[in-house]
Amino acid sequence: MNITLFDTIFYLLAFLTLGSAAIMVFSKNVIYSAVGLLFTFFGVAGIYVLLAADFVAVVQVLVYVGGILILLLFGVMLSNKITNIEITTETLHFLPASLVVIGIFVVLYRVFITTDWNPVGSYNFDPTTHEIGTLLMTDYLIPFEIASILLLGALIGAAYIARKD
Amino acid sequence: MALSDIIRDNINSLNYFLPELLLTGLVLLMIIADLLLKKERSPWMSIIALIGSGVVLFAIINQYELGSRSIFNNMLAVDEFSIFFKLLFLATTILVIFLSIASVELSGRSVGEYFTLLMILTLGLFLMASATHMITIFIAIELVSIISFALVTYLKTRRRSSEAGLKYAIYGAFSSGLMLYGISILYGLTGTLNIYEIGEVLAGRDTNSLALLISVLLIMAGFGYKIASVPFHFWSPDVYEGAPTPITAFLSIGPKAAGFAVIIRFFNVALSNYDGVAEQWLALSNINWPQIIAVIAAATMTLGNLVAIAQDNVKRLLAYSSIAHAGYALLGVVVLSSQGVYATLFYLVVYYFMNLGAFFVVIIFQDIIGSEKIDDFKGLASRAPIPAIAMGVFLFSLTGLPPTAGFIGKFYLFAALIKAGPEFYWLAIVGLLNSVVALYYYARILKAMFFDKISEGVSPEPLKISPYYVTLLAVLGIPTILVGLYWAPLANLASHSVHFLPTF
Amino acid sequence: MIPASYYLYLSAILFVLGIIGVLVRRNLILILISIELMLNAVNLTFVTFSNYWGVYDGQVFVLFIMVAASAQVGVGLALVKTIFKKKAIVDVDKFNLLGQ
Repeated sequence: MNITLFDTIFYLLAFLTLGSAAIMVFSKNVIYSAVGLLFTFFGVAGIYVLLAADFVAVVQVLVYVGGILILLLFGVMLSNKITNIEITTETLHFLPASLVVIGIFVVLYRVFITTDWNPVGSYNFDPTTHEIGTLLMTDYLIPFEIASILLLGALIGAAYIARKD
Repeated sequence: MALSDIIRDNINSLNYFLPELLLTGLVLLMIIADLLLKKERSPWMSIIALIGSGVVLFAIINQYELGSRSIFNNMLAVDEFSIFFKLLFLATTILVIFLSIASVELSGRSVGEYFTLLMILTLGLFLMASATHMITIFIAIELVSIISFALVTYLKTRRRSSEAGLKYAIYGAFSSGLMLYGISILYGLTGTLNIYEIGEVLAGRDTNSLALLISVLLIMAGFGYKIASVPFHFWSPDVYEGAPTPITAFLSIGPKAAGFAVIIRFFNVALSNYDGVAEQWLALSNINWPQIIAVIAAATMTLGNLVAIAQDNVKRLLAYSSIAHAGYALLGVVVLSSQGVYATLFYLVVYYFMNLGAFFVVIIFQDIIGSEKIDDFKGLASRAPIPAIAMGVFLFSLTGLPPTAGFIGKFYLFAALIKAGPEFYWLAIVGLLNSVVALYYYARILKAMFFDKISEGVSPEPLKISPYYVTLLAVLGIPTILVGLYWAPLANLASHSVHFLPTF
Repeated sequence: MIPASYYLYLSAILFVLGIIGVLVRRNLILILISIELMLNAVNLTFVTFSNYWGVYDGQVFVLFIMVAASAQVGVGLALVKTIFKKKAIVDVDKFNLLGQ
């Protein structure tokens, strides 16, 4: 099996994603976890590019890194400052949890290995923005509109909960 | 399909989407009205919500004349089944608005956001009942979940309320993560997200049954969270206890019934040979999902009933009892016959009256005596006879004793189960044993109210119950008895509503 | 060429790491972060299958998941904030007022 540049990039990105995800889950420091999540998001965005999903990759960086991660970091900082106590991060119930989790993984592994998946097919890296945009305005018009109501509701709810009164 | 056809279908669908459009308009109107009315704590928001609900009610009834159709390029279905659920949800919302007006917990707070969020939640439930595409199902479930998080936390100055909201949010996000993974595996197996097409692909091809099983189990995590079935019930007692009581009453009916709508539609359309005509149909050969749901149903009712015995808080007791009732209602889903679906629909309506009623009595007592503990309910029958008698009716009905509506509901469920053959006899036995257990803990509340002496230090003078409360109790209590004696109209409605679109 | 299953293994590992995080970590914000990790694993599966089947539905679904995730995080953090205002606790095991 000869390893092409494409394969190398895949393995590098997979390593980056998994390594930083592991740091995120197992680190004792919340800030390290948040930074780990940052690199996981970037790694996954890179893999989207390999899968020819350019629009999703860009949105991943914009929404997850630029929005959700920043929000979570605010949460970390805010909670630290308000409470002024050390955030508890000791890991509990490790053994039962890991047994459950290993079980889930083995089953998922079986699922993916016994199913006959072909190699991922299309590697024509055409821009996908046009197709996705068309789908959102035609086939997926109604979920798109529901999503806007979802955001409106979340906005009202979050503003009410966080507001002083 | 050509692009212009898709766009034309979207435009033509608007006519079938009128109730939801009106509801959206109502929400926007309420946001503006809230801004204008902010200064005075007026009852206007609830009045607007009630009038709006009335208009939406007419639009829904009007849908019966339009006939069944798949709309917005097979994203949603308008059929008798979804109309039935929309009526149930709207009835829940209207009653919860009345409960909220009376609620002492909510008085003195700005209720603008409260009623607005309640109407958005109703819209989410409507969409859950008619969704026929995994994306619509997902986004409707998320809409319902996220708005519920906010409503549970509405009494944010009370620690219990915000704690409940947080638990709800964490469990909700976790279970929707599991559900999404299941959906993604199903997408990988079939290459489509539309449940009709999933059904066609799975029926026409031999798929890996292990992968299908895992995917169904994971998807059931998300649906099970909505109906609070084992093992995704953990949130429900805490949330029911911590949330404002009208919201608790809402959550115990609305999202639960919507979860049943999604389960019935998804499993029967995607994973069985349902064709909309046959009385009895079969699950796909390579996945025995009725058996999975049967096990979940047995576990759900057993756990709900056994844990309910140990509760001292009436709200928590009703929470566990409503877990158990989700288990009973699942009995109608496992048999894959129109009789089973019919029994589930009938039971959900009956459950609406008796469960809302029981919660309403708790609201009344909580407002007056300021407690939800069984011990503090002692001797209430002599101090407040009308709510106590009403509570007796609701609890008899929840147990399933004749001549109440609960008896008829349970009877239909067990009849459908027995008729399905010896395969599910064990489940019927489990269900019957559970009803006996349930009798024990419901009787505890009744014993405290009717037979125990008033605790020392509590004045025995009669409590004042406002006529408003008595009227609402009558609205819930009379049907609970009446349906137990004369159930033909409701049975007709339910039997007309068992049909959902088998294909697009 | 990388087969589809490699991407799926990657997503399965990410998903399992996310579940570990939810089950094992006791810090609220870390639980939220772990749930985001699970959702990323889901997104990766969807994009893989979208490519595998040569249709864009999967990618559209990913966009909707992102919308829902951001709404969830927004409301979740608002909830965290109200709890912080009242009591300086971040450990989920200490949320035990209910049920007593």
